[in-house]
Amino acid sequence: MSSSDRPSPRLAAASGEAGAGIPATTATPEGASGSPAELSEFLTRAARGDEIAFARLVDALSPTVFGLARRILRDPTRAEEVAQEVFLQVWQTAARFDPARGHAKSWIMTLTHRRAVDAVRHDQSASDRDRRWGNAGERDFDEVDETVTTRLEHEQVRRCLDGLTGLQREAIALAYYQGYTYAEVATVLEANPATVKTRIRDGLVRLRDCLGVES
Amino acid sequence: MSDPHQLLGAYAVDALPPDERVTFEQHLAVCETCRAELPGFLATAARLAETETQPVRPELRATVMALVSTTPQERPVVRPLGQQRSRRRLGVAPLVAAAASIVAVLAVIGLVVENDRAEQLAAQTERVSAVMTAPDAAESASELNGGGSLSVVSSVEHGAAVVMGHGLDPLDDKHTYQLWTMHDGEARPAGEIGRKSGMTFVADVGGADGIAVTVEPTGGSDRPTTDALGMARI
Repeated sequence: MSSSDRPSPRLAAASGEAGAGIPATTATPEGASGSPAELSEFLTRAARGDEIAFARLVDALSPTVFGLARRILRDPTRAEEVAQEVFLQVWQTAARFDPARGHAKSWIMTLTHRRAVDAVRHDQSASDRDRRWGNAGERDFDEVDETVTTRLEHEQVRRCLDGLTGLQREAIALAYYQGYTYAEVATVLEANPATVKTRIRDGLVRLRDCLGVES
Repeated sequence: MSDPHQLLGAYAVDALPPDERVTFEQHLAVCETCRAELPGFLATAARLAETETQPVRPELRATVMALVSTTPQERPVVRPLGQQRSRRRLGVAPLVAAAASIVAVLAVIGLVVENDRAEQLAAQTERVSAVMTAPDAAESASELNGGGSLSVVSSVEHGAAVVMGHGLDPLDDKHTYQLWTMHDGEARPAGEIGRKSGMTFVADVGGADGIAVTVEPTGGSDRPTTDALGMARI
């Protein structure tokens, strides 16, 4: 099917030129924060081809999308590529988002994490990463760049992470922020892979309850 | 493998290697408990990203919006709101509902699944939607003995069909609903729907005049061992 068969999804008249004319809503370095309801609304409208709503979504979420990709991939150029891919994917598949099933932000961060992890695994051989780990030494949440505006939410996430056992926290951190497989996590932590799987699960349950995420 | 439920956490933080990810996603497709628990895990994991916020270069936004302005979107999907109500009705409604139900599963797992390792699932979805939206797609349906119905959307052009069982009585784990393409009374195995209502893709319906369903032992049979519950003509 050629795209010319269907009505253009663009609201060109409203948006001007390809988003370039859409005023950025970014008021702070970490972007327009946007409430969950607002973000879901933007995404729902984006699904109908509303580029302005989509631009709002990009403004609100690109600092987190890029930040997570950067944390996992390290290389800012590569992280930017991944962020672009994520947003393009969000645009293309926005119609699949169902607000009843969760928050827009959560959905987009899930996509981001998956893509960034797949990219890092693609880019680096396991030995590279092992070496990197070996050189990096203890790499934990303390490493987060403190020049980034700290929000209350961050504090809550950190507090909840602190509430985990050491193994739960390290296993989740290595998996989530480094893109390690549970087997790699087990190697690094010199733990049993089966134990690591269980700890990741237990840790997520505890985090979920601590953060008050609906289960 | 040990209890796959234990893998849900590792899955949610993308800590499964590619092969186990695919295996787990297959499990996910049939594990309601897992699907119920997954969104909470994903939402929890997503919160971990919040500590990583970083300033972005304005070029990112410009590039994204430029790409967006030339990129078509997937068409809207019909949500399975009417699924329960329409499952005994034949014709378009159950087809749409069934199509929406795959999309619903994808909304939970599939969206997460946009990656080369999930090509299988993506390819399957693509084939299903190719048949459902083919210009020559034809629909037929049959009420089944014992309740429920079988509906078929087939496309000559694709030589394939999407077959959906609706309102089927769930079977025990020793039995399965198996499909057959019918060629002048001869039945050829055409895959399984599984132990309960569901959808399957039949890749080769060339020359078949209908699709029938029987109950067979788990794993399927080479030829029907029970009477057909019904047959939808192609």
